[in-house]
Amino acid sequence: MQSTTLILILAAMSVVAFYAGRRRSVALVGGPRQGSVLHSLPGYYGYFTAIWLLLPALGVLLLWLFLEPTVIVALVVRGLPETYQSLSAGELNLFVNNVQNLAAGDAISGESDAVLSDAAARFLAYTATSRRLLATLALGLGGLGGTIAWRRIRPDLRARNRVEQIILLGLIAASSIAIFTTIGIVLSVLFEAIRFFQKVPVTEFLFGLNWSPQTAIRADQVGSSGSFGAVPLFTGTLLITGIAMFVAVPVGLMTAIFLAEYSSQRIRDVAKPLLEVLAGIPTVVYGFFAALTVAPWVRRAGESFGFDVASESALAAGLVMGIMIIPLVSSLADDAINAVPVAMRDGALGLGSTRSETMTRVILPAALPGIVGGILLAVSRAIGETMIVVMAAGLAANLTANPFAAVTTVTVQIVTLLVGDQEFDSAKTLAAFALGLMLFVVTLCLNVVGLHVVRKYREQYD
Amino acid sequence: MAKRNTAIALLASAVVMTAVSAAAIAQSGRDYIYIVGSSTVYPFATVVAERFGRGTDFKTPKVESTGSGGGLKLFCDGIGVDHPDITNSSRAIKQSEVDTCASKGVTDIVEVKIGYDGIVIANAIDATAVNLSRADIFRALAKMVPGESDGDLIENPYKTWADVNPELPNVRIEVLGPPPTSGTRDAFVELAMEGGCKSIPWVKALEDTDKDGYKSICHTIREDGAFVEAGENDNLIVQKLQANPTAFGIFGFSFLDQNSETVKGARVDGVAPTFDAIADGDYPVSRPLYFYVKKAHVDVIPGLRGFLREFTSERAWGDEGYLSDRGLIPMPQEERSEIAANVRDLTPLSMARQ
Amino acid sequence: MESSQITRRKVEAGLPRRRRREFLFQLAGMLATTVGIVFLGVFFADLFVKSSTAFVQTFVKLDVEFTENVIAPGGEWDLTYADFDGLVRSALRSEFPGVSGRSERRELNRLVSVGAGYQMRDMIEADPKLLGARESLWVPASSIVDMYIKGNIDASLEESLRPLSDKQLSWIQKLQDSGRLETRFNSALFSNGDSREPELAGIKGALMGSFYMLIVTVLLAFPIGVAAAIYLEEFAPRNRWSDLIEVNINNLAAVPSIVFGLLGLAVFINWMAIPRSAPLVGGLVLSLLTLPVIIIASRAAIKAVPPSIREAALGLGASKMQVVFHHVMPLALPGMLTGTIIGMSRALGESAPLLMIGMVAFIVDVPGGFSDPATALPVQIYLWADSPERAFAERTSAAIVVLLGFLLLMNLTAVIIRKRMEKKW
Repeated sequence: MQSTTLILILAAMSVVAFYAGRRRSVALVGGPRQGSVLHSLPGYYGYFTAIWLLLPALGVLLLWLFLEPTVIVALVVRGLPETYQSLSAGELNLFVNNVQNLAAGDAISGESDAVLSDAAARFLAYTATSRRLLATLALGLGGLGGTIAWRRIRPDLRARNRVEQIILLGLIAASSIAIFTTIGIVLSVLFEAIRFFQKVPVTEFLFGLNWSPQTAIRADQVGSSGSFGAVPLFTGTLLITGIAMFVAVPVGLMTAIFLAEYSSQRIRDVAKPLLEVLAGIPTVVYGFFAALTVAPWVRRAGESFGFDVASESALAAGLVMGIMIIPLVSSLADDAINAVPVAMRDGALGLGSTRSETMTRVILPAALPGIVGGILLAVSRAIGETMIVVMAAGLAANLTANPFAAVTTVTVQIVTLLVGDQEFDSAKTLAAFALGLMLFVVTLCLNVVGLHVVRKYREQYD
Repeated sequence: MAKRNTAIALLASAVVMTAVSAAAIAQSGRDYIYIVGSSTVYPFATVVAERFGRGTDFKTPKVESTGSGGGLKLFCDGIGVDHPDITNSSRAIKQSEVDTCASKGVTDIVEVKIGYDGIVIANAIDATAVNLSRADIFRALAKMVPGESDGDLIENPYKTWADVNPELPNVRIEVLGPPPTSGTRDAFVELAMEGGCKSIPWVKALEDTDKDGYKSICHTIREDGAFVEAGENDNLIVQKLQANPTAFGIFGFSFLDQNSETVKGARVDGVAPTFDAIADGDYPVSRPLYFYVKKAHVDVIPGLRGFLREFTSERAWGDEGYLSDRGLIPMPQEERSEIAANVRDLTPLSMARQ
Repeated sequence: MESSQITRRKVEAGLPRRRRREFLFQLAGMLATTVGIVFLGVFFADLFVKSSTAFVQTFVKLDVEFTENVIAPGGEWDLTYADFDGLVRSALRSEFPGVSGRSERRELNRLVSVGAGYQMRDMIEADPKLLGARESLWVPASSIVDMYIKGNIDASLEESLRPLSDKQLSWIQKLQDSGRLETRFNSALFSNGDSREPELAGIKGALMGSFYMLIVTVLLAFPIGVAAAIYLEEFAPRNRWSDLIEVNINNLAAVPSIVFGLLGLAVFINWMAIPRSAPLVGGLVLSLLTLPVIIIASRAAIKAVPPSIREAALGLGASKMQVVFHHVMPLALPGMLTGTIIGMSRALGESAPLLMIGMVAFIVDVPGGFSDPATALPVQIYLWADSPERAFAERTSAAIVVLLGFLLLMNLTAVIIRKRMEKKW
């Protein structure tokens, strides 16, 4: 039996259990009119029964499906002739793959010999048995759980509390996933990073000025020495982030001010959603635009002024990234400006200051912490942005502050180190995780501080 | 009615999540071919893979570009479905790699030579055309170059091409080339660099006396920024050359062939990199391309034998085959039929012949 | 009197300067707002111009013969290794009888896509009676011809500088004159998977990959996200643990997406050994990525339900759980759905974490399930943007238009749900 059919049957059974439980509870007290004698509403007795049917059965199902492949393969292998038993693990694995493919009815290459078809037949037989067993067990357990629950239904059974307790447990589990995600991130990055730092000292990574992760991969090859000084990556990231901020902060801030203070409602209704569209465009699209439209344009413009512009200049990537971040800055700035009490604004205007004076001398200073917090969040976003820089910035780890030169960033290097190459013992691959750790820690700090400031500030005038 | 709906939704979501996890757990065997390796062979392998997938009932092989060295490393990690069936390589397998393979239980490897490829040194189409000798290449890119007297080595002092050879343009040396995982790098070092290196008599004499010293002189590429390791992506190099007219790039002839409207190849020792010059062996920097198959995987991974047949068929690698349209330079007819026969019989590689 | 006049004069002296500043400030604001909107305009104009040509494709009419001794030599059918390309070539040669010599024939063959051979194979497989017949077929032209017809190749350039030779140009002219060249809707773009040949490459594989991923994502992220939001908003006691969860969720919403990719690589692929490139892994990673978005939006929706509703229900004797599930949640559902759709649209556009888990590979087959190797629409855009063939540039733009179309559709749905179903209190 297919596991999906089984799950469907279980679902159908739980619906039946629901009605059975409800019915019994009503019947126990002698009809629907006597409902007030029951501890809970009749439906809760139904849920109580259904949950006790479903939970054990689903649990067994999952566990079974998880263990099934290993057990069946072991059984099939044990039944093989002696000669096959002595095969190396790799060859055995290949043989089993062939068996599985044959059993699945997939096209296999070559003739299937007797041993193979026999093994495939046994594989199928074992699978069928396993599924039969599973179906019996899951349905039996579900039926048993449902029946026990059904029989335990008494008018004074606190069914609602039981059901609610289980639901609450489910809710708590769901909300803890966020924690597990964070732990997962930290652990997965940390372990590999530690392995990296066993090969390359932390100090060299943090303070080394030369990044060239291509090491020789064979003993008899003369390769480059391979150095893992990440400073050029950090400066490259900062340079591009700086350019992006140079675009996004003034533009975003002035947009927020204009829309909050000067524009008519009509313009606001048009301009705001349009700017929101900017935030919704996927970053890979920005990357495409940066690499194919903006970068050549920056290059031509630079050359007409006599600058030597690299084809993958930091400027092009930074400009486009800045555009992408405008909506983020402007909406956070908008929040901060709107949080300033109207009384302060009215007071300043009443004293005869112009609107710009009110804005720059009263509202902005009052909103400053919120705006700064918002900018920190924007910086964190720019540092972690990947696709734009992968497509528009280069791979050359230059230590420079020249916006016309090509630089590389932490995220670009993570991508280049991990795409394609999958060996997990070389310093080259592990370096990606060390960079990931740096990225995570830095953005985490920025986020914590930024969110804290934004939140604290929002509450200040409430 | 809302209350019943929400509760049912909760139950339903539990069921659904179980179903998803069940799908996550259920796994079957691998039923497609898994290919890794050289980025030079990648365009050929993907074309064959696509044809094979469309023309047969088997699934289209999955091809990843990891570089020859990287590919051989993955390839040699063991046999079994978790490891690749085929690795492409733009150079012959090395003894050290055969040993690594053997130590992991990968013993019967079938070598398939598929044709030739030239390594070109190219720049943008509108940049100055140059004529390089292999000695120029060596002097421009080696880490240590011979000083004034014999046996004397100095850190490479040349900043511009004119420093290397007064006939060359007076622009900064900037060459985008492949990293050590690449077979193109190995072949370039062995053919161009070593070829130029040999033109210096005392270094050539060293070859017999001090093999390691000779190798480290001839094979070490400078790391002061004149040679930029541009990753495995040859497309990227082509794009960068287009943007930067003073830079040169090192990649396979097939890429030049596909991008002939944006980049052009430099003459090496007076010979321009053309299809015919490489096929005739006139162009000095050309190398054979290979792929390697695990014999143990043939007849186990569905379609592998058919894929081998497709790759070694006349319509693929023949004189008028579709691979030659992609820039692969075909081998002579007799060599092709000999190799095709080897592939049919799965004659494993023996390093003794080398 | 005296002093107030002095003050007045001082103020008036400063007025022009202040007015000028006011004007400049307002101007700056206006300019800033325009920058964003102008960019948007330029961006869409650029995109539409670039993509407009990708939706049509040039076709060539060929008279092909399903020659018996090629397809079924000696009466035995051999569709796998039959040389359909050879049949296409001989059809071409009969069209241009004067062409001779190896390189000239190669040039001629380059006019027609290899898809012609596949087309013949599919035809005869569907209808074996065609064996031996002569048919007039419209087959796709190769991408260089297509580029030339679309005006992307400048014929006035020197011969060596363009991919088409003078001879090829004259052949194309001849085909055009005899009505054997035509542009039609590019259906391959929507019905094929990826291909090395631009004229055969399509986005169906990537679309299906994205579809499977989003299914996994919505099935996991929506229930979990809503449940977490309900717990945090309605049940969580104010203690350290809830604070921790709260801070965590807000942070996760701002963690760079590539870090989630590292998590997916380490946990799902290396530890749980789910195959690389599978939509399942992508879906799992994307659900972790969108979870914070959904939780935050759902919490806001729950918060927007006025306390009076809860108090009224509690006052009538409902339990806390009943209040939440019978009254709060139905009222907050539109907001939750809106948040989910926005989270899904973010997931659909996400590509950086997918690069980490091997979804960036050359995959021709259209995936048929959750564990088949697949790629996603944004990743396909990334792959095509990197391809050297010029014809891929317009297809990249077309793929972007499709992607943006889907995003627009999702966001419109969200807006409609919000407008239609949301209650104002």
